[in-house]
Amino acid sequence: MRNISLIFRRVAKSVTLVAILSMATLFVQAQDIKEGESLFKADCSACHGVDRAVIGPALKGVTERHDEAWLISWIHNSQALIASGDEAAIKLFEDHNKLMMPAFPTLTEDNIRNILAYVDDASKPAPAAAGGAEGAAGQQAGASGDVSNFMFGGLIVVLIIAFLVILVLNRVIRTLDRIILKNRESITEGEEGEDDGGESSGKVFVDKLKKLSRNKKLVFFVVLGIVALLSTAGWNVMWNVGVHEGYQPVQPIKFSHQLHAGVNQIDCQYCHSGAATSKNASIPSLNVCMNCHNAVTASEKYNGEVSPEIQKIYNAIDWDPDTRTYGTDTKPVEWIRIHNLPDLAYFNHSQHVTVAGIECQRCHGPVETMAEVYQYSPLTMKWCIECHKETEVNSKDNAYYDQLIAAHDKLKSGEKITAAVLGGIECGKCHY
Amino acid sequence: MDSNKKYWKGLEELHQTPAFVEKKGSEFTENIPIENVLNEAGLSTKTPRRDFLKALGFGVGAVTLAACQRTPIHKSVPYIIKPEEVTPGVANYYASSYKGQSLVIKTREGRPIFVEANTKALFAGNGVSPSTQASVLDLYDMSKLKGPRSGDEGISWEEVDKQVIAALNSASNSGKQIRIVSSTINSPSALAAINEFTVKYPTAKLVVVDAVSYTGMIKANELSFGKAVIPQYRFDNADVIVSVGADFLSTWLDGIENTKQYMANRSHTSLKNGKMSRHIQFESGLSLTGTNADVRVTVKPSEEGPLLIALYNELTGSALPNALSENQKAATAIKLVAKELNQVRGKAILVAGSNDANIQSLVNAINVHLGSYGSTIDLDNASNQYKGDDQAFAEFLREANSGLIDVAFFAESNPIYEYYDSKSVEDALSKIKFKVSFADRENETASFANIIAPNSNYLESWGDSEAYAGYYTLVQPTINPVFDSRQFEQSFLIWAGNTTSYHDYVKAYWEQNILPQGKNWYDALQEGFEFKGSRGGSAQSFTSSVSDLANQIGTQSKAIAKDIELQLYLSGGVGDGKQGNNAYLLELPDPVSKVTWDNYAAIEPKYAESLGIGENDLVEVKAENGYSIILPVLIQPGQAAGTISVALGFGRTKAGKAGNDVGKNAYPFVRLVNGSLQFNNSVTISKAAGTYVLAQTQTHQTIEGRNIIRETTFANYKTNPAHGSGNTGEKHKTYDLWNKYEQPGHSWVMAIDLNACTGCGACIVACSVENNVPVVGRDEVRRRREMHWIRIDRYYSFENDNNEAVTREGEVNRLSDLSQVTVVHQPMLCQHCDHAPCETVCPVLATVHSSEGLNHMAYNRCFGTRYCANNCPYKVRRFNWFNYWNDSRFDNYLNNEFTQLVLNPDVTSRSRGVMEKCSMCIQRIQAGKLKAKAEKRPIKDGDIQVACAAACPSNAIIFGDRNDPDSAVSQALKNERVYYVLEELNVQPGVGYMTKVRNTFEA
Repeated sequence: MRNISLIFRRVAKSVTLVAILSMATLFVQAQDIKEGESLFKADCSACHGVDRAVIGPALKGVTERHDEAWLISWIHNSQALIASGDEAAIKLFEDHNKLMMPAFPTLTEDNIRNILAYVDDASKPAPAAAGGAEGAAGQQAGASGDVSNFMFGGLIVVLIIAFLVILVLNRVIRTLDRIILKNRESITEGEEGEDDGGESSGKVFVDKLKKLSRNKKLVFFVVLGIVALLSTAGWNVMWNVGVHEGYQPVQPIKFSHQLHAGVNQIDCQYCHSGAATSKNASIPSLNVCMNCHNAVTASEKYNGEVSPEIQKIYNAIDWDPDTRTYGTDTKPVEWIRIHNLPDLAYFNHSQHVTVAGIECQRCHGPVETMAEVYQYSPLTMKWCIECHKETEVNSKDNAYYDQLIAAHDKLKSGEKITAAVLGGIECGKCHY
Repeated sequence: MDSNKKYWKGLEELHQTPAFVEKKGSEFTENIPIENVLNEAGLSTKTPRRDFLKALGFGVGAVTLAACQRTPIHKSVPYIIKPEEVTPGVANYYASSYKGQSLVIKTREGRPIFVEANTKALFAGNGVSPSTQASVLDLYDMSKLKGPRSGDEGISWEEVDKQVIAALNSASNSGKQIRIVSSTINSPSALAAINEFTVKYPTAKLVVVDAVSYTGMIKANELSFGKAVIPQYRFDNADVIVSVGADFLSTWLDGIENTKQYMANRSHTSLKNGKMSRHIQFESGLSLTGTNADVRVTVKPSEEGPLLIALYNELTGSALPNALSENQKAATAIKLVAKELNQVRGKAILVAGSNDANIQSLVNAINVHLGSYGSTIDLDNASNQYKGDDQAFAEFLREANSGLIDVAFFAESNPIYEYYDSKSVEDALSKIKFKVSFADRENETASFANIIAPNSNYLESWGDSEAYAGYYTLVQPTINPVFDSRQFEQSFLIWAGNTTSYHDYVKAYWEQNILPQGKNWYDALQEGFEFKGSRGGSAQSFTSSVSDLANQIGTQSKAIAKDIELQLYLSGGVGDGKQGNNAYLLELPDPVSKVTWDNYAAIEPKYAESLGIGENDLVEVKAENGYSIILPVLIQPGQAAGTISVALGFGRTKAGKAGNDVGKNAYPFVRLVNGSLQFNNSVTISKAAGTYVLAQTQTHQTIEGRNIIRETTFANYKTNPAHGSGNTGEKHKTYDLWNKYEQPGHSWVMAIDLNACTGCGACIVACSVENNVPVVGRDEVRRRREMHWIRIDRYYSFENDNNEAVTREGEVNRLSDLSQVTVVHQPMLCQHCDHAPCETVCPVLATVHSSEGLNHMAYNRCFGTRYCANNCPYKVRRFNWFNYWNDSRFDNYLNNEFTQLVLNPDVTSRSRGVMEKCSMCIQRIQAGKLKAKAEKRPIKDGDIQVACAAACPSNAIIFGDRNDPDSAVSQALKNERVYYVLEELNVQPGVGYMTKVRNTFEA
């Protein structure tokens, strides 16, 4: 089973290697295009697409519409160009609802040339080699995604083979049995009373077992061992009833925290804005997603199409990326809640995030590495209390605590002031 | 010195009735049937081995199967576009108003869940009434209509508009009349909208009628001073307050504002300054205001007029006829009162509850004599809260009966139920071609309507009101209309051909007429009110003939001085019955009788004895007009002999699931005399078959004669502020069984001013709404299973004929009548004892002490032994006998998905089998602390307010941190009047009470 997936991975890897090599050779002569691409993605892609109008117009064919010098001065400072009375600039400005394009004085002329080269390159129909490479990359992505499916298929095949083997072996055994019986008959007919060597060794083993089973001490210890094993297992199972550590449901949108919080370094509270002020960290509403995703469509990975996962946001909020308008046919996204506390427990995010200044990761684990979020902590009361007993209260520069700490110091000077010392493990602090 | 005056929770305790004696010792009424198991047969029963194994096998199997249930998947659905101001989990507050009172509405995730008084407001800024507090539940009422209806069919609003406009046009074209029948509308924008409507349809007219009307007072002011208005009263300017049958602290005019003013001269802060007003109450039934009076004298309804004549005579030295002669006690009292009043002219006030123009004119004459106008009464700045005109409605019925009216609208008015003569209303309605009701449910009147165009709840509406002249409050919606409802103002605008939305209309109206320079609409929305008027008023003179009044009062008094006199009154919770389907209000114990879920005939004990009637008997009450109802009897000390009192507002038949057929309708006993409704009558009563147990909460716990109420007189207080409190300053040595709990950080405690507590019950409703306390229904209350975390204990004590306190039970039985009762209200809630007896007995440590002085209750840990409830000296723990939130037996109350939207998401709703009790709103404490921590500042006094204290209209409950020496509660607890209930047990309670001080006459 594992072998098969390994083999598959190896194949995929080699294919990718070939693809990357061919890409590399392709890009050797066009180093500036590559630099242009990275600049484009950093500075331009928030407002411009190559084939698609985003906030600004689509850039396909821009070098044919304007000459290079004009483009360079436009990109350096479009407003200055407009102010200088350049007709083309004014027309462009007015054609696009007088939306101001920010100035990019830091880009050198070479930078801009590279960007334009990239735009030209990207607007060409994809060359065959690149297409092939992309195809291979796509295949690879598909492969890693389908590994589990493949493994299932493999498992079934293996099971079928095993079943067949068993069938065949059974057949063989039966035939052998018949032959033995036949032989025995002929042997007994021939030489009666003679012991069969092969059979005796089996018999000895059974006899030994019988002897051992009469050894009461041994039986007692074996039974005791089994009972102990089962009870420990049972005990563990019972203790973990209702504990959903590792719970990782399939979400309606394959949202990757690894990409957003990890790679893109978006602050947790940008989306989970409730965490600072409310008891609920709150799942962001779709308008928060649209802050970025009205421009970020990841279409460069999907042949110019909007990423299917981002498309789900658009469907929910009824946004048409082509006309850039909102409709009215909205449907909320029904996320599956991962961290569930029972109703009887009161938990407030802002107490922990704003007042105590605890990192989100302390309870939620390395979210920035999770492609799919799972429940990292057990969320049991024991877990809460252990932390409350250890964690020192973040009373620095917080006038609320001044009097409290002073009063405590009078009673028990020098002792570490943990949440528990200030009453953080009293029933009524969480249960009401 | 401790007083040896005795207090009783009820007459059962006083008389030690067998049923009371049997049950008083036990915390729970029904014992666990343990004897059945532990008797001979139970113990000798053999369980065969096979049966045992069967049961074991089944048990293991069942548990295994049950355990196989998969953990449910929780979905988390974020907003698509989050409104900027909403953060899930954080409450938003909006200024709005209800019935002219400026409020702050708390919403969570778009659901309004709690109502608080706007403390910055000019009027009624201390707290709210129980009905206002409970009004949030009306929004989530399942019995409301889901959309407009025509007959039994749902129709669209376009269809409604088409039909109504067609009917209106045909009526106008044929010159027929159009009438809008409504309870008082004091919203300037709504009146403007209606005005547009009447301009478009010139035959249209607004008829204002209130279920409980003040027409008599308006007429009297017109006759006396030429101003047809209700004046503003200023109880805060009065040193002596005399009330004749006016329940002004609860249901008479603006009870909340009156309470605030009244307490200005009576609460602990006023006492500190050595000032206390004197309040004398003459009335027939024991009202909430009567229980708070310093001197209370019982009079029959027919004696109210003659009493005022006698008072006038005594004050002015004139000799008007028909003065009170028979009631000796009252006559003596009048002499004293007159003397008192003459001494404080200009600082006195006389109010009367009667709706008779003659009586009110005489009251005006007396008030003019006392120089009240310009000081305690402000006639120049009117109160607009009740503008109903009984005569106008009678005229409406006459016109309808003669076929003049083609179209009629009913807004917030339900005359089929509320009008005394519902038959004539029914006849009149049958003659009107087209009737539209704006009721939010198919109520008694709406069922006769051709179209029901449901009005939105105030929490879903835009609007405004001008409850007092120049005092404008805004209503802003806190939620979109839940059902397909439309504000009636919007409907009138549409039918008048004006297509502006009502929001724009109100906004434009405010911008043009109300907002001063430099203030915009959003400022006003944020503040919630705008005051442009003035207060004070000028002095008045009285010129009408007083003797004519006296003659007419005499005649009318004789008309009801027959048989048994019936006084109709409003209960503080249910009120006039408009909120008849509100389960919180139905389960709120009446402030005096502590009866829930019913109205009853209240009769004085000795008088009942003479009639051969006892508690739980049913009687038939019959009026001269032939109307009769069968009511249970409530033996009520303090009721005038020869009278009975019955509450209005009950007996609705089409209120909804919770409110249908609760009690009996007493409106048909109302009489229309000289164009105003009279809320008294002459009736006969006869014993009916059967008995009926009222669901009362009063004797559910007993005090065993312990000294838990402490009171004194103002005279004694002045000589020694600690008088009567047992607070001698010396502390004897105590020995502790318990470890000392250190409270180094905060120490949350409470001080309750018994002098300020009126017993209204707003705190009970507020607590229920805040803490998700379930409503359990009449049967469960009868089993003593009410769940209220805070209750108001009402204690009776009696004085003998020589005005001496009665000290022994035996002496009480020798008293000639039990009408001379004095009452103390004591709010009772978990005392958060430092040495809590409940904590010691809990076998599972479900209730433990915190380092902030609170007694925590961990519901998920509790497994229901109820030891704690047995061991609690204050009897404040409540046991969940059922899963009230998910049990079809409690379907009527809060048990459906829609109604449960009212729940506070920060508080767990408890399950069956666990104990619960006051947590001192720990969710609010935690939230307040967290806010301070996040803002990196120490907690300020007043940052945290518990629900009961927030609701209290008289600021009787003070909550705060004892460790903060400057906090209001620390200051209050230093008061000499402070004592702790059952402090001799050394449980060290965290709630201090201040003695009740009564400003009695020094005989």
